[in-house]
Amino acid sequence: MSASILCCCANGSGTSLMMAMTLEKVVKAQGYKVTKTHHCSLSEGKNSSMGYDIVLCPQNFTNMFDMAAKKGVKIIGMRNVMSAKEMTEKLENCGVDLK
Amino acid sequence: MLKEFVEKKHTIFVDECKDWQEAIRTCVKPLLADGTVTAQYPEDIIDNVGKYGPYFVLIPGVAMPHAQEGGGKVFKTTISFMKTQKPVQFDPDDPDSYADLFFTLASCNHDEHLEHMAALMEVLQNEDLLEDLHQVTCDQDLLKLADQYGL
Repeated sequence: MSASILCCCANGSGTSLMMAMTLEKVVKAQGYKVTKTHHCSLSEGKNSSMGYDIVLCPQNFTNMFDMAAKKGVKIIGMRNVMSAKEMTEKLENCGVDLK
Repeated sequence: MLKEFVEKKHTIFVDECKDWQEAIRTCVKPLLADGTVTAQYPEDIIDNVGKYGPYFVLIPGVAMPHAQEGGGKVFKTTISFMKTQKPVQFDPDDPDSYADLFFTLASCNHDEHLEHMAALMEVLQNEDLLEDLHQVTCDQDLLKLADQYGL
């Protein structure tokens, strides 16, 4: 299976961009099949998150995506947005087949 | 990147800040001085922390304050550096939510910003360099590290 992944932070220009760069590394290293990735602000992401399989965001923002979570989108809160190790572990355990 | 901080006069070294609000206003000073941002910019960052919490404390000790891209308050794309001797605590309930290294982002050009962020990430992921950065007290220290690490 392949998945689409959204990286989201408050402004869409700092933290989410770092997450997107970490994700790029992780996807390459693990050989994940990813159809689409995008990074954006919370205000944009709240609406568009429904269209993704997985949302990555800083840990304290996970509850902003309750609506999407109810629709089956996997919400992953990151403690360290630069950690490829943490991101890999959390993606492996989120229940979406990325291989 | 480290050399650029010094060359652009985008560095500030302080002993301590009385609270995180003062830290935000202080770390933006070099960007205000050369017209990169307006006086509204630090206030926007402070408002953001009020709304979302200090999510830009990336790892304990390192903050990356910023507000929305562009928006008529940002006129250059750059990063400013601040080192405080005494770490600044953001969330009193979260012991990890402190910083003594501040990388303040300003962006009005997305492509340029992307390049800067990749460079910043390279700095922040170098654990030896990060450890050394926590010890700097002046521009000379930064230039020394720039030479040492070739950054």
